[in-house]
Amino acid sequence: MKRKGRALKGGALLSPAILIVGMYLFLKFVLPLFTAPLPASLIFLYLALTVTGILIFNTLSGGSMEAFFGPIFRFLSGDGQAGPMKVARLLVLILFPLLVGWQTYASTAPSDHPPAENRTIHPAPPGEFVGLSNPVPNTPENVMMGKGLFAAFCSPCHGNFDGMGPAAKGFTPPPANFVDPGTIAQLQESYVFWRIKNGGVGLPIEGMPWKSAMPRWEVELKDEQIWKIIMGEYDGAHQKPRTWE
Amino acid sequence: MRGAHRLSVWCFGGIALFFGTAAPDSGFAQESVAVRAVMVKGGVPGEDPSAAAWNTVPVSEFPLSPQVHWAPRIGEVTAKSVKVRAMHDGQRMAVMLEYADPSEDPDDAAALEFMIGDKKAHFAHGQPMAQVEGGPVNIWYWKNKDAKVLDMNAKGFGTLKAQSQQDVTGKGVYQNGTWKVVFTRSLTTGDVDHDTQFKPGEFINIAFAIWDGKKLESGDLKEKGSQKAVSSWWYFRAEPPPDYSAYLYAALAVGLAAVFQFVIIRKLRKGRST
Ligand code: HEC
Repeated sequence: MKRKGRALKGGALLSPAILIVGMYLFLKFVLPLFTAPLPASLIFLYLALTVTGILIFNTLSGGSMEAFFGPIFRFLSGDGQAGPMKVARLLVLILFPLLVGWQTYASTAPSDHPPAENRTIHPAPPGEFVGLSNPVPNTPENVMMGKGLFAAFCSPCHGNFDGMGPAAKGFTPPPANFVDPGTIAQLQESYVFWRIKNGGVGLPIEGMPWKSAMPRWEVELKDEQIWKIIMGEYDGAHQKPRTWE
Repeated sequence: MRGAHRLSVWCFGGIALFFGTAAPDSGFAQESVAVRAVMVKGGVPGEDPSAAAWNTVPVSEFPLSPQVHWAPRIGEVTAKSVKVRAMHDGQRMAVMLEYADPSEDPDDAAALEFMIGDKKAHFAHGQPMAQVEGGPVNIWYWKNKDAKVLDMNAKGFGTLKAQSQQDVTGKGVYQNGTWKVVFTRSLTTGDVDHDTQFKPGEFINIAFAIWDGKKLESGDLKEKGSQKAVSSWWYFRAEPPPDYSAYLYAALAVGLAAVFQFVIIRKLRKGRST
């Protein structure tokens, strides 16, 4: 009977443990699939919130109070402990202050890293570039001409549509890779027209225009040439422009 | 005993987890993104690229592109990358570029570019931006045959101009197919509108340009003007003086936590015995 009671009390601690580990794995590995990886300080904050939540939950639901805190108190006070439990307690008592010290160090040590770069790659275009449609008929000749212009003007940076041209290396952010589904496949032709015509310097502040090597092609190319290049670009990259259903 | 066993597993798991997440970020370790001007004692070694002090300074390397951002362009350039070292002593700073060039020519040249103050500036000579009000750039331009560094400003193509107040000195030394060019200046100057100010600890932007001034058969120079090897913006930081306060705070926190622990356990024990 006594034995069973103990096992149950251990069980009361097991589910919070699973919850915390699960939360950690989620923040560290699952969430970054959808967003940028979380900084360690943010993960720590979320875990601290989870722990606080668990503590509050167990404090409020009176019945489980003793089941939850009982084993912890007994463990910490060290009454009648022997063998591995004694060692475990000692370790916890040594490690806890060290942990607090480490956390303090990590949060007060001066940062050695350049400021984080939160560049928006596809910021909103100016109003006059919304909803334009390609005025050039999509004929094989026009696509061919577009590809020719692309080879002449764009390939030094964008390479064979893959962003790996001979002049790509020195530029950050790197020239866009149009084969990647994250670039022109996400964009309408109207948007791409804006990006080519106004270039990197046409970006709003969240696009960090001062860093972009993308030329402002309106200086050198006619609108019609740009529309042809867009056709050649999608064709060469085997992508389709996004359309609004 | 099983419950107790689980308990210890839980505790260790928790501790491991805390340490795991507390590890400082290491996102920028793979490649150079910043020039780090280390702090040295007893002065920076003037304009001498062969001074022993340079051997103790960390090296960053940045790739360069042929300038194809604006016309007139160039498709192929001599310098493919540049190695950069820097140091400061709290008063003066020195930056050294090192790059391969098979021939020494009078028109060989190299330049550093910085933003000035808080205004963002495009890396291509601070050219105007459509939606952001940009600022000027400060350019330090060294040319072999002039044997000096010009302190310049630009705000848009065709606006490059030497300052009336020259603050930068420098020197290039060519040896075994390698140029080493040193630029030196005081960290701060009185002219905040034209000169970049370097505050130790602060990251600012830096860009590079290199010209191979070799004379071609045609009589033209291989690289000149906008036909050069370039980079876009990277980071530069004059390292701050060592700051040990984080260790002090950490030690204090360890002490506090130990006292806190001691008090709690005493209280727990008292509660049990009564
Ligand atoms: C000097 C190098 C360079 C040249 C030449 C160049 N680009 Fe770019 N391009 C870039 C860089 C760098 C970026 C990424 C930064 C940005 O989005 O501004 C980019 C981005 C783009 C984008 C945006 C893609 C996206 O998903 O947001 C398009 C479209 C584009 N380039 C088309 C072209 C076309 C068409 C040409 C030729 C007419 C061209 N580029 C020539 C450097 C270049």
